Amino acid sequence: MERIVLPDIKDLHLIDVYIQNGGYQAVKKAYAMSTDDVIAEVKKSGLRGRGGAAFATGLKWSFMPKTTDKPKYLCVNGDESEPGSFKDRQIFEFNPHQLLEGVLIACYAIQAKAAYIYIRGEYAKWVKLLQKALDDAYDKGFVGEKMKETLGSQFSCDIFIHKGAGAYICGEESALMNSIEGKRAYPRVKPPFPASNGLWGNPTTINNIETITNVPAIINKGAEWFSKIGEPKHPGTILCGVSGHVNKPGVYEIPTGTLLTDVIYKLAGGVPGDKKIKCVIPGGSSMPPLRGDQLEGVKMDADSLKAIGSGIGTAGVIVMDEDTNLVKVLARISKFYHHESCGQCTPCREGAGWLQKVLERIAAGNGVSSDLDLLISIASNIEGNTVCALGEAAAWPVRFMVTKFRQEFETYVKADVSIPVPNKVHSMRATEFPVADIKL
Amino acid sequence: MPKIVIDDKELDFNQGQTIIQIAEENGIDIPHFCWHECLSVSGNCRMCLVEVEKIPKLVIACSTIAADGMVVHTQSEKTVKARSAVMEFLLINHPLDCPICDEAGECKLQQYAYSHSVGESRFTEEKNHKKKRVPLGPYVMFDAERCISCSRCIRFCDEIAGEKQLTFVQRGDKVTIVTAPGKQLDNPYSLNVTDICPVGALTNRDFRFKSRVWDMSSTKSICSGCSRGCNIEVWVRNNEILRLTPRHNAEVNSYWMCDNGRLNTFKHVNAENRVDGPYLKREGNLIKTGWDEAIAFAVSELKSFGKDEIAFIGSAFATCEDNYIFAKFAKSAWSAKNIDFLRHVKPGESDKLLVMEDKSPNALGAQLAGIQPGKGGLNFEGIIHAIKEGKIKALYLLEDDLAAIKPEYESALKKLELLIVHSSNFNKTTDIADLILPASTYAEKHGTFVNFDGRVQRIRSAVTTEDFDRSLDGFEQSRLDKFGSPFDKWSSPKKMDARSSWRIIAAMYSALGHKIKHTMSQEVFDEISETIPEFQGLNYSVIGDTGAKIKLKSAETKSIKV
Repeated sequence: MERIVLPDIKDLHLIDVYIQNGGYQAVKKAYAMSTDDVIAEVKKSGLRGRGGAAFATGLKWSFMPKTTDKPKYLCVNGDESEPGSFKDRQIFEFNPHQLLEGVLIACYAIQAKAAYIYIRGEYAKWVKLLQKALDDAYDKGFVGEKMKETLGSQFSCDIFIHKGAGAYICGEESALMNSIEGKRAYPRVKPPFPASNGLWGNPTTINNIETITNVPAIINKGAEWFSKIGEPKHPGTILCGVSGHVNKPGVYEIPTGTLLTDVIYKLAGGVPGDKKIKCVIPGGSSMPPLRGDQLEGVKMDADSLKAIGSGIGTAGVIVMDEDTNLVKVLARISKFYHHESCGQCTPCREGAGWLQKVLERIAAGNGVSSDLDLLISIASNIEGNTVCALGEAAAWPVRFMVTKFRQEFETYVKADVSIPVPNKVHSMRATEFPVADIKL
Repeated sequence: MPKIVIDDKELDFNQGQTIIQIAEENGIDIPHFCWHECLSVSGNCRMCLVEVEKIPKLVIACSTIAADGMVVHTQSEKTVKARSAVMEFLLINHPLDCPICDEAGECKLQQYAYSHSVGESRFTEEKNHKKKRVPLGPYVMFDAERCISCSRCIRFCDEIAGEKQLTFVQRGDKVTIVTAPGKQLDNPYSLNVTDICPVGALTNRDFRFKSRVWDMSSTKSICSGCSRGCNIEVWVRNNEILRLTPRHNAEVNSYWMCDNGRLNTFKHVNAENRVDGPYLKREGNLIKTGWDEAIAFAVSELKSFGKDEIAFIGSAFATCEDNYIFAKFAKSAWSAKNIDFLRHVKPGESDKLLVMEDKSPNALGAQLAGIQPGKGGLNFEGIIHAIKEGKIKALYLLEDDLAAIKPEYESALKKLELLIVHSSNFNKTTDIADLILPASTYAEKHGTFVNFDGRVQRIRSAVTTEDFDRSLDGFEQSRLDKFGSPFDKWSSPKKMDARSSWRIIAAMYSALGHKIKHTMSQEVFDEISETIPEFQGLNYSVIGDTGAKIKLKSAETKSIKV
């Protein structure tokens, strides 16, 4: 199988090696095309976003206004902070120039004069690696004012690397823009959408690191070629980060539509001690989990996973064997989302903490049977009522884990124990007052 | 015009309006915490979630721009459920401070807990704890546990006060509000955050723990701090003013007032140094006297001077009614020409929002009511000069502490043979006076002020004096006023023996044999509107709660503004 994003070439991260292997040819080719043709080519390729929502990339680019006096921007989201997701850093480390070349093509397509690559603060090492690659690209004249000369084009753009300060929420695209602007990373209320009102109020496109890295290959080899790889409705390859109870955890580049069981057993070497699998989260911790008995025939692409009630997410596959304590797993996942809730809007700010508190109480053996329905109710009160998708990210694992593994949770909670409720009444509306029995 | 349907009502709207704005205009209440008419939309409280047909998710009414043909449901099952979910979330970590919280009784969270919450909490964990008493600045105290992170206070500082003094720090349910290290919330409008705070997180340090809100009466009035004339509520318990709050008037002050006006314009009403009854100076000592004796003294003393030896100085702090009767008295009873008043303009001491250079509430009103030199008469500086030269020997001064303003004025006043003063408090001028007549403060009388812009606005009595009985004279009533028994301590409040200046002058008028028909200030105002063209067509009911513009000749506004 051909690898697009992480080709098997030694020292590809060095600019000379990259150039020797045909690097920075796609950008020349693209700049000779019209911007509409570049967008059309990407549309035709069927490339879909690799950041979680799997939105059609070409279509997203076409939302950018053609006639505007405002500057336009490209943001590339490398804030990957989802537990189970560790794919983008492979690109920073092993194939940074293909990413940069993709950025140059995307900037041209949407006519952005500046691109910001946003990398999570914890990736200090990878920020340095990418910065080195970017400096080399500037030196060789592939980025910045000099590219007009090098590439013989009218167009030029600059690329900046922006380091986050350690907040999951910065991966939410509008929070990411606020963060770049130097503001508190609160997600913005949408609409307006970034294509009309993004960075500093200007038209902006936000793409994932892996998505952009696919673009040079599409320009080089054509949309036709790309669209035939993997699942037709979600073509190409995806970087699949496998972690948990597998013999060979790591990032594997697979064609979309590869069987999940193949990923686990063939690529990642199966489960240590040949234990049974209890649970797999296919797309990073916020995606609904699958039970061990649901894995047969499941394909790794957006539509197939959606069809069985989960999602491709960032393709971070977390495998849990039969001895895993899912109550503790869920308590830990909830702790993460509680810790990372930005605190802007009410349901997520208060709900994420409540979920964690209840789950930790259950995990400590102090749960009661009504807690399970309570958890599902809290989760559904968060879902759909928040500013951004972190509400769902906090709620889904709880709702689906408790629903799909109800029996395991049932054994953890004591039945028929009623615990005292402090501060029970905070409103008189639903309270019946005792009426004194006085006869006049 | 595009149309929207909210709760089965078809409504017209203007392109660009949000659902909540349209609802507000049409009297449909969509519950909300973070949205405020005058602030940017932040959309964070999620209380205004409503159902819009053809949109799968609920949307927030505060940020959703209305579209033609949109059908909105604010009472559907889905909406009600979402609202009560938001209320439950807001309440789980909210401390049950209500019994000791100043906000109780005017708290949005408390009110919505009654009207939009299911009534029982399912939260059995320990509540989050945060700092309880954080002084954010000289006037504002912060209770982090009560805060619902609506960001109204932050947006107020950024957008209205124009000083970015507050911000969120931390994340998730640890979010709290701080000032920058070493900095304070000390902008001139800082206390407005206590009004817009929907809960008891931000409280007024001057008012904290003084009273439950339902134990006070609130009376619509006007701030006397400058010529802006901010609309206010005067909050009174047991005949004592405890706080002032701004009252909405889009034409004058929006929802705001400055800290100086809020804190420094009512304490003299409750002060120890109130003039309580008329005082006469006998052999250098001030002696309390009766009203009849004081008025007889004033009349007989004034009679002993020639008309050119007497000057009358009105007041920009007194009402139009006071000044009108005063001017009429001076002109018709004494044929006086030397009539004027002092303008309290402090150049440079104004700002872009509300504060004006003229530090008096009624300069324009005083001038229009007739406080200006007669033909060939002296103006204010001329009067002072003539006093120094010994040409003017007697001065009748209305509600203005001239001696405190300049040593020059003080030494001039000391040269007078007769100084009659109306004053609410003892001060440097009353020290010199031969007769002190106790004047009601703006909080103890009805009347009108004309602001810098020519808007006539009403002040109303909020505090009783000995003349008036709270229960009989149309006062706003608090719970204590209505339900207190004679044995409660609040039933025998301290009352001042003071009167509106126009009433005192009217009594003097009668003593001179003139007939005064007026018994109420609104009758005085009716006479003003009949005789002074600028006030034509106005009366107390036309002025109402939010005031009315007078017909102003441009020359007059100019003379006041300069």
